[in-house]
Amino acid sequence: MPPFVDDIPHPEKSLYFLHRNAGKRGITLNIETTDGKSILKRLVKKADVLIDNSPPDYMANLGLDYPVLKKLNHKLIMASITEFGHSGPYKNRKGSNLVDFAMSGVMITSGYPGKEPCLCPGTPAYDAASLHANIAIMSALYMRSTTGEGQYIDVSVHETARLGLYPWIVPNYSYALNPGGPPPTTETRMGASIYPVYPCKDGLIRVIALTPRQWDALVRVLDSPEVLQMPDWRSFMYRIGNADDLYALMLEFTQKYTMIELFEAGKREGVPIAPILNIEDFYNSPHTKAREYFVEVDHPLVGKADYPGPPYKWSETPAAIVRPSPCLGEHNEEIYCKELGYSKKELVALRSARIV
Amino acid sequence: MLPLEKVKVLSFGTGGVVPDAGKIFGELGADVIKIESKDNLDFMRTIGPDINNIAGFNEANRSKRSFGVNLKTDLGKGLVRKLIKRTDILLENFRGGVMKSLGFDYERVRKLNPKIIYVSSQGFGGGGPYSDVQAYGPMLSSASGMLSIWSQPDDPYPVGSNSPLPDHMASKHAVIAALAALDYRRRTGKGQFIDMAQTEVAVSLIGEHFLDYTFNKRVAKPVGNRSQYAAPHGCYACKGYDEWCAIAVFTDDEWDGFCKALGNPAWTREAKFSNLQGRLKNVNELDEHIRAWTSTLDAYVVMETLQASGVAAGVVQRAPDTLADPQLKWFGSVIELEHSAAGPRLYPGVPFKMSGASPGQSTPAPLLGQHTEEICRDILKMSEEKIKQLITEDVLHTPANTQSTGKGMFG
Repeated sequence: MPPFVDDIPHPEKSLYFLHRNAGKRGITLNIETTDGKSILKRLVKKADVLIDNSPPDYMANLGLDYPVLKKLNHKLIMASITEFGHSGPYKNRKGSNLVDFAMSGVMITSGYPGKEPCLCPGTPAYDAASLHANIAIMSALYMRSTTGEGQYIDVSVHETARLGLYPWIVPNYSYALNPGGPPPTTETRMGASIYPVYPCKDGLIRVIALTPRQWDALVRVLDSPEVLQMPDWRSFMYRIGNADDLYALMLEFTQKYTMIELFEAGKREGVPIAPILNIEDFYNSPHTKAREYFVEVDHPLVGKADYPGPPYKWSETPAAIVRPSPCLGEHNEEIYCKELGYSKKELVALRSARIV
Repeated sequence: MLPLEKVKVLSFGTGGVVPDAGKIFGELGADVIKIESKDNLDFMRTIGPDINNIAGFNEANRSKRSFGVNLKTDLGKGLVRKLIKRTDILLENFRGGVMKSLGFDYERVRKLNPKIIYVSSQGFGGGGPYSDVQAYGPMLSSASGMLSIWSQPDDPYPVGSNSPLPDHMASKHAVIAALAALDYRRRTGKGQFIDMAQTEVAVSLIGEHFLDYTFNKRVAKPVGNRSQYAAPHGCYACKGYDEWCAIAVFTDDEWDGFCKALGNPAWTREAKFSNLQGRLKNVNELDEHIRAWTSTLDAYVVMETLQASGVAAGVVQRAPDTLADPQLKWFGSVIELEHSAAGPRLYPGVPFKMSGASPGQSTPAPLLGQHTEEICRDILKMSEEKIKQLITEDVLHTPANTQSTGKGMFG
């Protein structure tokens, strides 16, 4: 899946794959064959966690569903991620990151009013599923330390994106819904008026001024122009209602400063102002460098490059990218021969029978 | 049974990230205590007239107890120190430096409780020039590169969303980090300090674009809803005001299903649309044809028609759609809780199922200081007289003495 290293389409050069599979070992296995199934069962016996994202019923039809696997290893935790879940009226529907993001309630708030709602960069719906699956798995591991038993976890992209990406959507609506009152307005694309983006000398900034105090600080940041000192502007609702007029006024003042000048003045005066950094700006930012966030990874095929590291620093167990993402079947020999005890001859046979 | 029974969490959170993380711990069965003060309110309590009746606050702080305490007093700090001693996980997202000025930075906290897991979630993370910047979701997308590519290619500049993404992705990362540290502590007996940068969470969500820079020296530009490996791929305007259906066609099989769903009109049989390459090359023309079809139909009709033909399609939905969603009803995903100030209201449940546990037995968000007396009595083992005295002396805050000062953290 593009983009690729050097723009060369190649299964080992997808940047999405390289980012999201770093730190893993990789083997190939055809679990639709009898021998493949029994090899998987041998792997399951030694595993703490099995994660799969095959369609509903796929594992069950192969005879590899959780009750079967649990008999081989009662401590096994199995997390199964599907688009819509393993049961229910949408079970067999087709999903995708775009479709699940559309249904999450966040997309209608994304982009310009009146224009096509805009996808958030990356794969936010799929990440909602993977983060929740991770929480469920870690919780199950913690539980296992007392119960000694594994368990099965069912995660759907649809439900996690819907409830997890922005959990306030349903409560915001529900709190506005009062018996006898008018129907509440639903969320729409207000990013431009609530968190306005202004041009400055060398780029763009975004201003988060919600409270009167933050607004006062913003006025000070801009050297207290008289036209912004009109008391009405202190009200958030007034600013939203007159967003276009305010925008036209603000342009004159924001363009006198650089992104970083405004960012730092905002910090000093007490109003959050963010520079809109592009990918290169973030990579080169002094803060990013100070945190040593990017780490160099050497991949046998695509070579060395800096990768985004884990988003946290640990005092005892520094997390790191310990190895590059695996090439297809890179660790077959290491795992099948060294860890499961197959001979090299047997591995060749498995390979020619297209089992691995 | 709940997965995290007996785990004790202390939360110094404000706003979105740490409150949401604490809520998740609470739903998983941990005992979560939120440290609050009427003189320095969680700013989410200040965005409406009643500090106890705010949707965002009451969502983010479910399944917790509230301990109302004046942190400017030595007595108040002493009580919090006692709570720290029995805590497994401490969460905080005050502006960088605030915990230190309160005397609750990791160096001092670990002396009270060496096994504690201390998660500090700053906007930009500690240890650099921006470590003391206050964090808000919309700032994080701006400062991480995410916002720079969050628009349609023809937009004058990116505006992203009024939803504070990636706040609620950062909260999940904080939970994952704390659970990993808990597992390490179970095996080794050692606590630790975790310094999470919310901007870096945003970066990790778009890591492929950073690799595009480090490998290819290319600075990504916004592509909106377009995809390099699917066409059609976007939201198409349907009948009515601001109604849209998202459609994603990846494979040629899905394309065949798509054409069938439309009744195989002549344009779908044109050779230029017969494979992905052709559809990508002629995507503007393709989108025109599709818009002509969707604009006459209800968005739900578009979704149902395409899904029946095996094509990924979904209405761009709003809150009322979530409440009516048949799949979510099937799972019971939305729950109702009775809150003493807000009444019966709807909230999202736990969006995953565990065969060996039933997470999500949620309790409504606490009133400010709702559990102060209970915590003093049951955990701090204080006498009724002492509790009353400290309430009178304004060291402890309870719902009875927490009429908002209107001073809010940022108000």
